[in-house]
Amino acid sequence: MPDDRPIAGPARGVSPAAASTTPGGRPVAGTVQGAPRAAVQATPVERPIADTVHGVPPVAVSTTTTLVNRTGSWKYIRPVYQDKVAPCNQGCPVGIDIEGYMNLLREGRTQEAIELLLRENPLPAVTGRVCYHPCEDGCNRRGFDDAVAIHAVERVLGDLALASPLPPPAPRTWPETVAVVGSGPAGLACAYHLARLGYGVTVYESELEPGGVLRYGIPEYRLPKQVLARELERIRALGVSFRCGVQVGGELPWSALAEHHAVFLATGVHRSRPLGVPGEELPGVRAGLDLLSEVNHGLRPELGRCVVVVGGGNTAMDCARTAVRLGAEVTVLYRRSRAEMPANEEEVFEALREGVHFEFLAAPVEVMGEERRPEEEALEAIRASFDEEDARRSALRLAGLRCTRMALGEPDASGRRRPVPIPGSEFLVPADTVLCAVGEEADADALPEGLPRDGGAVAVDALGSTGLPTFFAGGDLVDQPHTVAYAIGSGKRAALGIDRWLRIRAGELGDGTDLAELRYGPAGNVSMTRWRGDDPVQRVAPLNEVVTPERINTDHFRHAERHADRQHPLEQALGGFDEVNQGLAPEEALAESRRCFNCGVCNACELCLIFCHDIAIRRRGDGRFEIDYEYCKGCGVCSAECPRGAMAMTREGL
Amino acid sequence: MKKVIVGNHAVSWGVQLARAEVISAYPITPQTQIVEELSEMCADGRLPARFIKVESEHSAMAACIGASVAGVRTFTATSSQGLLLMHEMLHYAAGGRLPVVMADINRAVAPGWNIWTDQNDSLSQRDTGWIQLYCENNQEVLDTTVQSFKLAEAVDLPVMLVLDAFYLSHTSEPVDIPDQADVDTFLPKREARLKLDVNDPRAFGALSPPDMYMELRLRQQEAMEQALEVFDAVEAEWGERFGRRYGAIEPYRTEDAEIVLVTSGTVTSTARYVVDERRARGEKVGLVKIKMFRPFPTARLRRALAGIPRVAVLDRNLSPGRSGIFAEELRAALYDLEPARRPGLDGYVIGLGGRDVTPDTIGECLDRSRAALAAGRAPEREDLWVGVKP
Repeated sequence: MPDDRPIAGPARGVSPAAASTTPGGRPVAGTVQGAPRAAVQATPVERPIADTVHGVPPVAVSTTTTLVNRTGSWKYIRPVYQDKVAPCNQGCPVGIDIEGYMNLLREGRTQEAIELLLRENPLPAVTGRVCYHPCEDGCNRRGFDDAVAIHAVERVLGDLALASPLPPPAPRTWPETVAVVGSGPAGLACAYHLARLGYGVTVYESELEPGGVLRYGIPEYRLPKQVLARELERIRALGVSFRCGVQVGGELPWSALAEHHAVFLATGVHRSRPLGVPGEELPGVRAGLDLLSEVNHGLRPELGRCVVVVGGGNTAMDCARTAVRLGAEVTVLYRRSRAEMPANEEEVFEALREGVHFEFLAAPVEVMGEERRPEEEALEAIRASFDEEDARRSALRLAGLRCTRMALGEPDASGRRRPVPIPGSEFLVPADTVLCAVGEEADADALPEGLPRDGGAVAVDALGSTGLPTFFAGGDLVDQPHTVAYAIGSGKRAALGIDRWLRIRAGELGDGTDLAELRYGPAGNVSMTRWRGDDPVQRVAPLNEVVTPERINTDHFRHAERHADRQHPLEQALGGFDEVNQGLAPEEALAESRRCFNCGVCNACELCLIFCHDIAIRRRGDGRFEIDYEYCKGCGVCSAECPRGAMAMTREGL
Repeated sequence: MKKVIVGNHAVSWGVQLARAEVISAYPITPQTQIVEELSEMCADGRLPARFIKVESEHSAMAACIGASVAGVRTFTATSSQGLLLMHEMLHYAAGGRLPVVMADINRAVAPGWNIWTDQNDSLSQRDTGWIQLYCENNQEVLDTTVQSFKLAEAVDLPVMLVLDAFYLSHTSEPVDIPDQADVDTFLPKREARLKLDVNDPRAFGALSPPDMYMELRLRQQEAMEQALEVFDAVEAEWGERFGRRYGAIEPYRTEDAEIVLVTSGTVTSTARYVVDERRARGEKVGLVKIKMFRPFPTARLRRALAGIPRVAVLDRNLSPGRSGIFAEELRAALYDLEPARRPGLDGYVIGLGGRDVTPDTIGECLDRSRAALAAGRAPEREDLWVGVKP
């Protein structure tokens, strides 16, 4: 305190005696900035308090450093930093380190976030649009306010990746080459990862352009062709070659692939299951997949005014929304109730928004053709012979679909309640076109002989091996949900499986792979980063355990509204095949990344350091923390306060 | 700059001028406006302080204590039940010799549930080791708020600034607000002489065995004693800079007085009016306002009251089973006077729970004391209740 302050002198001391012995402004030993703590710790020095009066300091403060009291000996449990797995990572069928890229994005390290994403997912701009984001189902933020809009963030990062320069060709590390049959999401994923692992890859595609279901199945209003084209450019840039317009097992026999050291089969499922009712052979009854393919090829078929879509899955929704865009009034017929619908909730919502009518608990009984007078038919036949357009129109002449009401009975093998027809409840739904979307199956004839089967699906092990030498399989061919994300995930697993198999065969690798260690959590997909062993994210004592909501300390988070995707206005959406979902702006994605709890992974928030009563936690040079167990009393506050479950209390060793 | 503001905001402005660094509080009527205003000042950047929301007054004081040990200037405000809940922490702040400043809005204690003024909340914290300063008007509130920090930090003791509910807290008066630059010169940033230092860790609030504890208390007592002189010095400097002084006690027209009222808080203003009126009628009456209750300015009160025939203490408070608390303190303070110069003392209990104290109330006290003085009678009781329903 400066001497010119009138009360400085006497005021600083407590009694007149103190004032005379302690001149104002003289620093007191207790506040002298000492050497760094480590030095003090080595030789605890007794530094008495200078203004001792009556033999005591002004307050009840220890006259010596408390470092002599090694309180660490008190503890019987000790805190440790222990990174875990975020539920989103486990929930992602692709096996993306979602938590990791959220954290990088939050820190403003956008390019690194994109790279982390691209380590696992070759098609982020695609999945950001079309994946039904099971990752968000497990989001621990759900119980706090609302799940992080992971899909929207992925889309933004995916689009940023598309705007980035193309990668250089992947260095060719190994002599082997791999054939990938089918260029849908599974094939593309397998090709991408194999190329990055250092293999030569050729993709065979029977259509004229690659993409499979991404190009010919998913409607343009959900996935613009341009986005797919740019994703494909990146895969091509890695050195993957494409041979399109070639039907393997058709004009090109399977034996032609013998030049390759492994084959990945990902030809998908194309054959629509039949309705199984009389009249389904009538013109005007069509496979939903065929319609989607036609429209994706740029055709705009005439469907008539009334369209009935039979089925309740995502293909049914795609068909219904496509038919709406072709000008039809659409009814979806589903034999169970809305709760049992396998279609994604958002798709159903969009279909409803676009005016699709739903008949739940209703099943087709018979497709009714229109009875026409003979002279009318003759006239039409003459017309048709002159005019193809008229011929197509005449084929539409259905009267409708005779249906029956259903009731839900006992649960079936799938656990869903089996629909049972209600006798005498039949009714007629008028229809010019009936679109059949009750499921698809693989075309067994097109696959190599001798593949082991599991029901209709190709049987594979966890890493995609069919057991038939050199043959691996994935995508919709194998028994897993028919979604883009699962397809990509299976392609990645197979790439990993092929790499492992080839390296074992070359005698460069033992076969002791612990698959559990490669998974994100016990139930998650494998991580290519873990397989490669080059995780750019520093992890401390990682435990492959998923962080449960109870491990999140929500006291340290503020409620923040989830950013909803921006949707095209309805009239604009229905005017054509423009993309309906406009996603988020980059700054909104950044805000979403700030909503992420970063479950299970230390993001250096410092709360442990702030809450430690014993100042026994220190920040290390690398930005992480260390605990001084000489002084940590094992109180557990750090671990309890950790907002994200990245710490744990362990038993103190004896 | 003059502004018309309520007493609560006079506190807020004072805290802003004092550049408090950590504010922690829990709302309670009639204090809430103080911290509401401060939270806005913190939010919009006028006051670059850390505002810590807490779940109770106990925690508010605990937060202030923690911040104060770390060496920063801290403030909180409370009232009535909130102050009572803080009780344990009040001892801790004082025993820890931490210059926390707190405003207490005098509000009666429940039950019966009551939000109006009396002094029992602050006076029941008498022995916690806090300096207590009672204010009479909004200007005094603002001035005392700033001064409190200087006083507290000079003697390392916490200061409780006390003002009446509603009569000050919610009443608007013109208040001169000093320039920030002048206040900055008067009150520089706090320089704690002993504070938490991670590089030289020490135990604050360490174990103090029997061979130390008494000395620590003696040092605290010496600091309390010194606080009176320091308060004078602080006021003197304030007076020089801003032209206003109040005094630890203020005698008013006590020369040749036969009866002197002893007051505190806003009752003083009413009493001044009554004294003026009586003086105009030729009655020899005066008053002594007590601003500083702790440390109790015993010597000054003895000097001010020695030889006065009769003292009428107006207590807006009650120590049940005894009397008004100021009266009790004064009886003890005056006891050592030689009997010839020791005044007779009437202790009036008035205005509890916000009951109006009018000029008539005070007039009745004066009349009763004058009658007793004339009759040479000792007070019939230690507690004389005025203004109660028959």
